[in-house]
Amino acid sequence: MRSGHAWHDRHLGYFFVLPATLMLAAVLIFPAFITVKASITPEGGSGWNLTLVHYLKAFRDPVLWQTFKNTFAFVAWSLLGHFVLGLGLALALNQALPGQTFFRLVTLIPWTIPDVVAGILFRWVLNPIHGAMNPLIRLVFPSFPAEFQWLSNPTLAFPSVIVANIWRGYPLVMVMLLAGLMAIPRELYEAAAVDGAGKARRFFHITLPGLSTIILIALALDMVWEFRRFALVVAMTGGGPGTLTEVLSTLVYKTYFQFFTFEYASAMAILMSAVLFILSLPYIILVGREQ
Amino acid sequence: MPRGSRKWVVGALFIGFAIVLAVPAAAQVKIRFQTWHWGEKPWVNALDAFKDDFNKANPGIEVVRDESRYADKETVYTATSQAKAAADIAHFQHRPIPMFAERGYLLALDPFIEKEGGQKFLAQYDQAALEICKYKGKIYCLPDFVNPMGMLINMAHYKEVGLDPAKPPATWDQLVEYAKKLTTGSRYGIGLIGARQEGLFMRLNPFIWGAGGEYLTPDGKRSAMDTPEFLEGFKFYVELFTKYKVVPPGVIEQGAQEVRTQVAHEKVSMNISVPQAWKIVQAINPNMKVPETLTAVPVPAGPKKKVTAAEYGMRVISAYTKNPEAAWKVYKYWYSHDIQLRNFQIAAVLSARLDVKNGPEMQNDKFAKVYSAQAQYAKLEPRIPEWPKIGDAVITAVQEAFSGVKTPEQALKDAHASANRTLSGQ
Repeated sequence: MRSGHAWHDRHLGYFFVLPATLMLAAVLIFPAFITVKASITPEGGSGWNLTLVHYLKAFRDPVLWQTFKNTFAFVAWSLLGHFVLGLGLALALNQALPGQTFFRLVTLIPWTIPDVVAGILFRWVLNPIHGAMNPLIRLVFPSFPAEFQWLSNPTLAFPSVIVANIWRGYPLVMVMLLAGLMAIPRELYEAAAVDGAGKARRFFHITLPGLSTIILIALALDMVWEFRRFALVVAMTGGGPGTLTEVLSTLVYKTYFQFFTFEYASAMAILMSAVLFILSLPYIILVGREQ
Repeated sequence: MPRGSRKWVVGALFIGFAIVLAVPAAAQVKIRFQTWHWGEKPWVNALDAFKDDFNKANPGIEVVRDESRYADKETVYTATSQAKAAADIAHFQHRPIPMFAERGYLLALDPFIEKEGGQKFLAQYDQAALEICKYKGKIYCLPDFVNPMGMLINMAHYKEVGLDPAKPPATWDQLVEYAKKLTTGSRYGIGLIGARQEGLFMRLNPFIWGAGGEYLTPDGKRSAMDTPEFLEGFKFYVELFTKYKVVPPGVIEQGAQEVRTQVAHEKVSMNISVPQAWKIVQAINPNMKVPETLTAVPVPAGPKKKVTAAEYGMRVISAYTKNPEAAWKVYKYWYSHDIQLRNFQIAAVLSARLDVKNGPEMQNDKFAKVYSAQAQYAKLEPRIPEWPKIGDAVITAVQEAFSGVKTPEQALKDAHASANRTLSGQ
């Protein structure tokens, strides 16, 4: 009887996590298995007649390689923008200023807006005829063209999407960095001030080292989010002009649902996941070390 | 609570739950009727009337609203079909029918059609449109509406600049000449689609084909987009924006609804459109007296031939419907004379049902008779499984040429190469 109770006590935790595990298996593991299987099935085929032809096609596909480049550029610039804007606002919001709580709430607003709504919002703002951007610029620079094209401009379309994405996503990084700043003991700053360290030295020798782990975690998580960004790009440009703003998620979507090549799209999705996993390794190793 | 009372309470709760659970089992069959038009005026009025009338006349079956969006209707149907949970009846244009039939998403209608009288039943519908519903010897849909493309022009704008609305542009040269005259400081001559959507082809193709271009070689095995004729039509469409500057800026961002909005707010004077566009324009701007302001005219003829594009609306029954008989009943009601006529009266679509198409209402309607007369010039793009990828390459080329990323020649050359790779299975 005593050993039965001991077994029960040792294994009770498994029963508590069983429902979540089953749900995870249903929404993550099973679809992942289906996707992997589809990626090694001949087009239009079924059963267990397997092939690597879709992966070979992917490695030879110039559109896929160009889209990888677009995606890396999109992610890199978005991360930089999120970090700079997020850190700047976090430093500002860490000051004891009047209305601190109000400003902390206001800076979170972009994060509360769904991706697709943010995309439509920016598409309207940047519309050359009806958008608000051109009239606003003309208030300061009257000679600015009245119907300047942003999203149809091959040079500005991609930066426009990135700016929209930076606006939409900076609060995640900001909140994490703000939490990290609040955890840095004030005594360190006071001691440094007593020793004659200026603001810049305090920032580089206290703030940044104190935030280093949080920065890595925030950017790693943000990278995963941005790599998968889909709705904002589709709502703003649909990947255009041409393929200038095409990213991996939009290409996979198009290949699957518009071209009806389910198997090749699955192979592209698996490759995307593999690259994302490799890029996430520093974060995984860091979290493992922390534990 | 005393133990005896507790038993009564539990028992009553159990009986109550049993009744609540049993009631749906005895309830009517629900048929999900999916279309993006539930979210569009004036179509939603026709749909609501259809739903209410059918439900009233058929107490055991309930038609329920199932919304999709134009941009991702195929996506939703694909995903839900893979989950074997697609809407019972769905609405598409003609392009995805072969793909869906190939994947087994559609119910073949032959058994139902046989019961209704076979060929005699099918003879009620536009035969050319009916051919599009056939795939590998089976019928997967009935044609709902056949919409050849025409052009809406703003008669007031024409008169303002000294043009006669009764003499619309009949050639490409006249189209450019009129569009230039109509382009003023705050208005543009013609609205075009440059957004990545299938509506782009219905505006582009009259120019491609009018110049004598074709997408494929006669044997259908290779791209024919490298011919001078194809380039001529492609360049003309692009140069309306880049060279003649008679199209509003941001053309790559403009889809069908954006251009109709421009017409409704009198930002453009001409628009290549489907027959129902004037009703949509009226719904966008109720203050615009559309029948007095706009009129329909044919798309100008190309240098080689007079040709236009067309949109075919089809409804399908899902292969995964749990109630095929009930779905067919709803489906047949949708395709009945009275409903098809009401759809025309409310939404201005040109029914593929011959007794409505040839009836006095459509024949005497100011807009319908012009669009209907274009049917003889209507043509469709290739109906092959590779078309979505080829079409995507063409849209990419159009956008690259519009934005100046590539010259029209280079953009088309790349699209041609991409199409050939697709056709060769790469």
